[in-house]
Amino acid sequence: MREVVKAEEGEVYDIELEADILRANERLAEENKELLRKHRVVAIDVMGAIGSGKTSLIEKMVEALKEKYRMAAFKGDLTTTIDAELIGRHGVEVVAINTGKECHLDANLVRKAFQKIDLEKTDVLFIENVGNLICPAEFPLGSEKRVVVVSVTEGPYMVVKHPFIFMEADVVVFNKVDLAQAMGVDVKKLQADVEKVNPRARIVATNCRSGEGVKEVIEALGL
Amino acid sequence: MHEGSVTTQIVENVLEEAKKHEAKRVAEVHLVIGKLTFLNPEQVRFWYEVLTKDTIMEGSKLRIEEKNGLVKCSECGYEGGFKYEDDPIYHVPTPTLRCPKCGGIVEIVGGRDCLIKSVKLIV
Repeated sequence: MREVVKAEEGEVYDIELEADILRANERLAEENKELLRKHRVVAIDVMGAIGSGKTSLIEKMVEALKEKYRMAAFKGDLTTTIDAELIGRHGVEVVAINTGKECHLDANLVRKAFQKIDLEKTDVLFIENVGNLICPAEFPLGSEKRVVVVSVTEGPYMVVKHPFIFMEADVVVFNKVDLAQAMGVDVKKLQADVEKVNPRARIVATNCRSGEGVKEVIEALGL
Repeated sequence: MHEGSVTTQIVENVLEEAKKHEAKRVAEVHLVIGKLTFLNPEQVRFWYEVLTKDTIMEGSKLRIEEKNGLVKCSECGYEGGFKYEDDPIYHVPTPTLRCPKCGGIVEIVGGRDCLIKSVKLIV
């Protein structure tokens, strides 16, 4: 029998770990993506600032697409189900995901929510994130497309202040454009800021209360 | 942001590894933090001190290596830092997804990880 080599007491072991702490969410997001593809569900992340009009946009899109697709929605919020109920009024299946104190949705919570709907009977799934322009950028959920919604009432600096979330966007929506003049905000400058940060993104100006621009958002999403 | 929960995971990971090797103490942890993770090394150090108290990691050395954001251009093959554009109105250098070499569109390929590279255990 070969000699067993044992460590001397007090010996220092140098161990290469290469343990990626943030990889867990990415892995789950990839699994979510696979599951959605398997059931042929197109999932759309709707991220954006607090009060920018994410829920209003989803409500308007659901109304417009009701006859075309079977839809469902997930709504992430801290503790209330207010927005989830607003979307539910339009006759689609909604799952309210309460994050507790967490400021963003993660792939694990979304995976749990999948169990509450019938993916086979769903064509389009809107996933509305918690209002936050910082954290959601780092937590992919497994969706097909990502939308970032900001409104003119947040002022002119949102894009340059939060470039990384705009880099994630396939479509950027500037909402409440009917108030641009009152706010003294130049929507063209905001658009130029997005073009600078993320030349790929499609940009649409909307007024989600009247519905103006919603058709373009739907078209930009390929729905 | 989220330094608390990330550092908790780091400490748990290291303690688990230490247990595997029946280590008596942890001497050093080498962490690599990508700048695009928004993790503030100062805060990670703070949480590390708090969370390692009364464990075999207490007093261990935390070595933090920062990694810059890395982009890659599919058109010209450029791999390196972001192209920053200075805004003439706000004077804010803004990172962009444009290739600094050819102006094509780049993809982010690095700087988003938080890695425990290695640990030094005393057995």
